[in-house]
Amino acid sequence: MTSMRYYLIVIFSLILALVLQLIPTSAILLPWKPNFLLLIVIGWVIFQPNQWGIGFAAFIGLLADLVFRSPLGLHVFLFVFIGAVPYLLSGWLIYFSVIHRSVLVFILIIFSEFLRNFMYSVWGVPVDYGDVPLGAISSALIWPLIDRFLLKVHKKHR
Amino acid sequence: MFAKPSSTIRKVVIFFLIAFGMMTIHSYTNWFSSIEKFADRSIRPVYWIANIPPRLGGWADLRSTDRSVIEKENLRLKQESLIYRGQLQRMAELAAENLRLRLLLNATELLTDSILVTEVIGVSPSPKSHTLSIDRGLQDGVYVGQPILDAEGLMGQIISVYDNHSVALLITDNTHAIPVQVLRNGMRSIAEGTSDYNNMQLRFLSPTADIREGDELVSSGLGGRFPPGYPVGSVLSVEKISGEKFLEVNVRPAAEIDRSKHLLLVFTSQDGRRNGNVQ
Repeated sequence: MTSMRYYLIVIFSLILALVLQLIPTSAILLPWKPNFLLLIVIGWVIFQPNQWGIGFAAFIGLLADLVFRSPLGLHVFLFVFIGAVPYLLSGWLIYFSVIHRSVLVFILIIFSEFLRNFMYSVWGVPVDYGDVPLGAISSALIWPLIDRFLLKVHKKHR
Repeated sequence: MFAKPSSTIRKVVIFFLIAFGMMTIHSYTNWFSSIEKFADRSIRPVYWIANIPPRLGGWADLRSTDRSVIEKENLRLKQESLIYRGQLQRMAELAAENLRLRLLLNATELLTDSILVTEVIGVSPSPKSHTLSIDRGLQDGVYVGQPILDAEGLMGQIISVYDNHSVALLITDNTHAIPVQVLRNGMRSIAEGTSDYNNMQLRFLSPTADIREGDELVSSGLGGRFPPGYPVGSVLSVEKISGEKFLEVNVRPAAEIDRSKHLLLVFTSQDGRRNGNVQ
């Protein structure tokens, strides 16, 4: 795989995640919306940790802050925090089954949502912790698709 | 392949410091506002692409709908339009009478509002930030602070304006507050957003306040930002919590905050910013 094509795949995956994140959703479905951007960051960090590490997570976090109109730095903090776990475990995670990785994704997303709600509550925003597992469930359910795609890329670009 | 824990933790700590520094600066200054405005302007094509699936859904819905259903809908809308036009005639008569009475009382003349139809082109993906982007901007005379509404009631106000689009803060955002009055008795209060699309709260109402479930709330016009008389919501529940000085009053917004696709921008006569597009 040429490096040009590889970088195009990375950019395309990020744009696709961003577009999916921005598709208008009704208030009822909004808590169920998977965290596409964080999923793709976790994915690249798991499968290509040498290319996409903590700095990459921080950059995408900054992008998320700008797109979501959240306080600048909030998603940098969240993405770095969440991205650091698969980065530290990346050597092992690659040998896990997709189900194990889905479980890890579920835990990471639930933790990220909990942290995000906590940060918002510090700013005085009313939060509902009951919604926290919903996005994590849907994220874990779509993870196998992302996993399969990134595993293919990983095999071609080791 | 395996990351070195010590260097990773060092990197994480550095990025944490940067992130907290940014959050502090964001909370206490507006140094980042130009960056945020630039991002808002640049992100528009992505919003446009993200809006394709809902548009396609709408288009497919229309295509798959039976002709007889559309004809029935058309007939119903024509009848509705006839009823509203009849009511409008009555309103015009009442408005004229109101004006005459106000003149008799030497009161100031009520300002009439003009509207401009706009379409939602993007919604904030964060459940905690209730903002949306609309397809009207500076070129259409849109300005910061301008109220927007849907067919049911007030939706929010414009917070940023760009050449061809604008960003609006919804009344349900937790940073938003709107002066309201109870339609039944004229009692004034402030309705605040709670980051819940279906709920707002009235603040600082004493336990003796004359407010009950089902009361309709309209904008009071105090503060001069929102024109008076537009529906804001209806009282969902009134609770007296022991130990609290004030009532807890929950309000259901009148507008379909998370569903409306076509909105109205309100131009009051005061604005003097009308252009040819304003109806």
